Amino acid sequence: MSPIVFIVTLLAIVLVAIVVLLIINRGEARFTFDIGGQAPRASGGGDNSTEKGFKNRLVGLEIFSGTIIGVLFTKLWAMQLVSVDDYTKQAELNRTRRISTVAARGRILDRNGVELVTNRPSLVVVASSEVADNDVVVQHLANVLGMPPVAVRRKIQDQTEGAQSLRTVAVDVSRRVVSYIDEHQYLFEGVHIEERAQRHYPLGTVCSHVLGYTGSPTIEQLKDSEEDETDYGISYESGDTVGQAGIEYQYESVLQGVRGEQTVYVDADGNVLDYATSIEATNGSDITLTIDSNVQRAAEESLAGVIGRIREKGNTECMSGSAVCLDVTNGDVIAMASYPTFSPNDFVGGISNDDWEMLSSEEAGNPLMNRVIAGQYPSASTIKPLSVFAALNYGIASLESSYVCTGYWTGFGEDYGQYCWNHDGHGGVNLREGIVYSCDAVFYEIGKGFFLSENPEGLQETFRRWGLGQASGIDLPAESIGRVPDAEWKYNYFTQADEFARSWQGGDTTNLVIGQGDLLVTPLQMACVYAGIATRGTIMRPHLLKSVSTHAGDGTIIDFKEETLLTTEEEASSFDLVHDGLQGVIYEESAAQASHFLNMKELVAGKTGTGERSGEEPTGWFIAFVPADNPQYVVASCIEQGGYGSESAMYVVRDIMGSIYGEPDDSDAVDSSGVR
Amino acid sequence: MFSRDTTQEGIGEKAHTTFSRGSGSAKGARMSSTGISQVLFIPQLLPTFLLIAFGSLIIWSASLTIPEASFPRQLLGIALGLIAAYVVWSYDYRTFSNLSTALLIADIVLMLLPKVPGIGYSAMGMTGWIRIPLIGLRFQPSELAKLVTILLMASLGAEYNGRIETLRDYLKLCGILTVPFLFILTQPDLGTGLIVLVSGAAIIICSGPPRSWVLITIGIVVLGATLVVVTSMTPGLPHVLKQYQLNRLIVFVDPSVDPTGDGYNLQQAKIAVGSGGFLGKGIGNATQSGSGFLPEAHTDFVFALMAEEFGFLGSTVLLGLFAWLIFSTISLAQRVDSPFAKLILVGIVTMWSFQLLQNVGMCIGLMPITGIPLPFISFGSSSMISQLMSVGMVQSIWRHRPKAA
Repeated sequence: MSPIVFIVTLLAIVLVAIVVLLIINRGEARFTFDIGGQAPRASGGGDNSTEKGFKNRLVGLEIFSGTIIGVLFTKLWAMQLVSVDDYTKQAELNRTRRISTVAARGRILDRNGVELVTNRPSLVVVASSEVADNDVVVQHLANVLGMPPVAVRRKIQDQTEGAQSLRTVAVDVSRRVVSYIDEHQYLFEGVHIEERAQRHYPLGTVCSHVLGYTGSPTIEQLKDSEEDETDYGISYESGDTVGQAGIEYQYESVLQGVRGEQTVYVDADGNVLDYATSIEATNGSDITLTIDSNVQRAAEESLAGVIGRIREKGNTECMSGSAVCLDVTNGDVIAMASYPTFSPNDFVGGISNDDWEMLSSEEAGNPLMNRVIAGQYPSASTIKPLSVFAALNYGIASLESSYVCTGYWTGFGEDYGQYCWNHDGHGGVNLREGIVYSCDAVFYEIGKGFFLSENPEGLQETFRRWGLGQASGIDLPAESIGRVPDAEWKYNYFTQADEFARSWQGGDTTNLVIGQGDLLVTPLQMACVYAGIATRGTIMRPHLLKSVSTHAGDGTIIDFKEETLLTTEEEASSFDLVHDGLQGVIYEESAAQASHFLNMKELVAGKTGTGERSGEEPTGWFIAFVPADNPQYVVASCIEQGGYGSESAMYVVRDIMGSIYGEPDDSDAVDSSGVR
Repeated sequence: MFSRDTTQEGIGEKAHTTFSRGSGSAKGARMSSTGISQVLFIPQLLPTFLLIAFGSLIIWSASLTIPEASFPRQLLGIALGLIAAYVVWSYDYRTFSNLSTALLIADIVLMLLPKVPGIGYSAMGMTGWIRIPLIGLRFQPSELAKLVTILLMASLGAEYNGRIETLRDYLKLCGILTVPFLFILTQPDLGTGLIVLVSGAAIIICSGPPRSWVLITIGIVVLGATLVVVTSMTPGLPHVLKQYQLNRLIVFVDPSVDPTGDGYNLQQAKIAVGSGGFLGKGIGNATQSGSGFLPEAHTDFVFALMAEEFGFLGSTVLLGLFAWLIFSTISLAQRVDSPFAKLILVGIVTMWSFQLLQNVGMCIGLMPITGIPLPFISFGSSSMISQLMSVGMVQSIWRHRPKAA
């Protein structure tokens, strides 16, 4: 009803003016010049008769006009002199727009400067989500982009870009398409063209698990950046490229540049009239990784090749595996490969729902998973050197201890007999030969010794001292920590079982001592363990970042500071025994296996492993360091359900070494002895 | 000589003594001024020319950024207006006093002209224009009708020589005033209608009806207006006001109701005025009106453009010139004897005052938005011509004043 209030007010103002006029008119009654009736019809003639009334009425008119001018003047005073700052601010707000300018994301290079990730400009067609409901526009888009309308609609409905209100329909569209859409804007309501700097991965799938991928900022990231009040935080806008996995995620704050800001003057239609102040965008910094792209490529090709061959032989359960190569002297990750792999390019411009589901599905083998850091397996026989250290430290065995292997070990009585992998038995063996031939009976004896000793968890303590059950702290997200099982864990884990089954048994220790059962390790953890063995006690923290070169300023290069992950205090004699045993594995365990390493100038020491799980093909391990006499690199590989370590992972490790030293494996000998 | 003219008069002594002093000094400077001021009422003519000059400057600056604001066309309007003013000035206004019937007919014809097929022309939701054949110039007859209505009401009111005694006479005046008002509403042009109504009412009031009648009439008008607004807002009842007219009332109370339409215009106009500050942004530097944020910056919202470019100083000058114009005209009304002349001047002064209030008021949020031009300033020939004819009328009253024998 407020308009009524206005009308009343307006008329009240008029009323007041008129009342004023009439009040002044009051005197009229007393001065009646009775000429009204007889006066000649107004002719403008020389009628000198006058009216006191007119004079008063004209004064009223003066008040009326004067009031109007006074009110206007007062209001103008208030607006133009008192509130001028407020209105000026509003006028500025009206005519200025802030446009943020994109900062280039930093590149990622390998240790030799080979570009692993770079940027390229790309024209992108985006559409607001409502366009999906507009059949005409969808059809027009489909025609011009050469896509089926269903696909266009699905792209627009796709919500993987999260906070994006504008959905990417097509990336890398041609100039022709762009000019068509621009010229026919009326046909494409809600459709826009954007020029974006797209992430580009020149080597395709190479190193994909390390590099990770990028996407639009998630709702959480957008919210976080809004809430971050500091000047140092990155402020995201939807449409930005943000690391979502791997190095892209880990070093997001380094790679991400700082948007620039350009203030422009616009007219009422939003056309830019002039440019005002601007703040330059600061590009993201380039990152150099410790990865050697050649070794990396060799690792990936070998991994794929070995798994392919295993599958060709009929083991179709084998689908995945991983390999990692570290520089034991400083923790540099030379190569880190996981299979199956994916192409980070698929994520550029937004990944489709279908692609995403495929990439994260169990059936496809979880291609996005970096198995080097996130794959958890029983370590199998590769743990045996640590078992030896434990036995020597806790007095369970001595350097001179000797054992007899009959192939069937009955240390806990006939009812609890366990086979050595070699059912024929190894005969008389010492600790060194226990490592060389991976004789389980030797380690069952050690396990029994621990189980019955005052330090029943001496094995677990040793394993943990070597870094198992803990994150290595590598500069990648989503690292798994594995598991070192002990009595407390077992009791809490199997809550449904009865008291006896929940309690720690001798068989648990004999399983643990040969790396089977509930022990879980990641390939990276085992690589670190062997790095510690190689260096005789110093494990450097594995890391992928070699240096950062800032785009801003003078381009200073900041090197990664290496650090020690942990040091393990073992007797020198224990290391001697283990080193000797690990060289024995390479050159003595089987002739076929030795043939693959005899063709190298460098001395190699390593260990096979075969993780067993009932109802599955065994998981093959192979971990080795080279040169054995002056260790530089440790290489580890694990092939899930790939069979024995000597038949699977060994080839991958050998190929990686071959790529490092330029000594390809020319032996085609196949181990048929089933060594573990 | 003025003193001689007016010493016999009982009114306006103060005003004309002041005036005669000014005139005396002018006489000393230029002998010819005596002759000119015999036929031209300089105190009213001077602010008129200054207003036109200031207005031309404003329209010229508007023409820098607004293509529709054609400066030559404005100059043409001024030229036509001056010619029209000359004709009116030459003509003895007293002739009109006995022509009330003819004036009423002329008024109605003017209002109906835009409805005549062939010359009628519609723009902005109104059929208020005619296109003059041959020259193709558009003209808004209701602008001229304002002046004709003033003459009509003055000629009727003057019959009573300052005192209306019978209710029948009073009602006759009121009834005749509603005729042009209602005809303008059919265009529909509420803004011009209000001007006609207010200036006509001022003439009636000055014709001397008893106070109580006037108060009752105003009460009835307020009630009627309220009723019109209420029925227009209530679904189901006849909507006398058009939706856009209602919107203007609504956004006047709360501009945020319609941030894209009239509310936006009002907000932008206020920003333009307020951001002008003391000295203004300078010619051609107006960001609000220059960059299209302020619509109709050269016509209805021309004051906002002026206030943005020339600031509070410009606003003061403009209001000052209008005050000069208005008060000098009132002083003339005090000095002339003829009730007819007085009432004409009352009507003209009321028209200027009300248009000033309406136009400036809507730019600064004091009045609701109506499409009323600012006299002598707004772009457009119709308004310029009719306003200059008003000036010519004032000058004619001066020229044809009774000379003292």
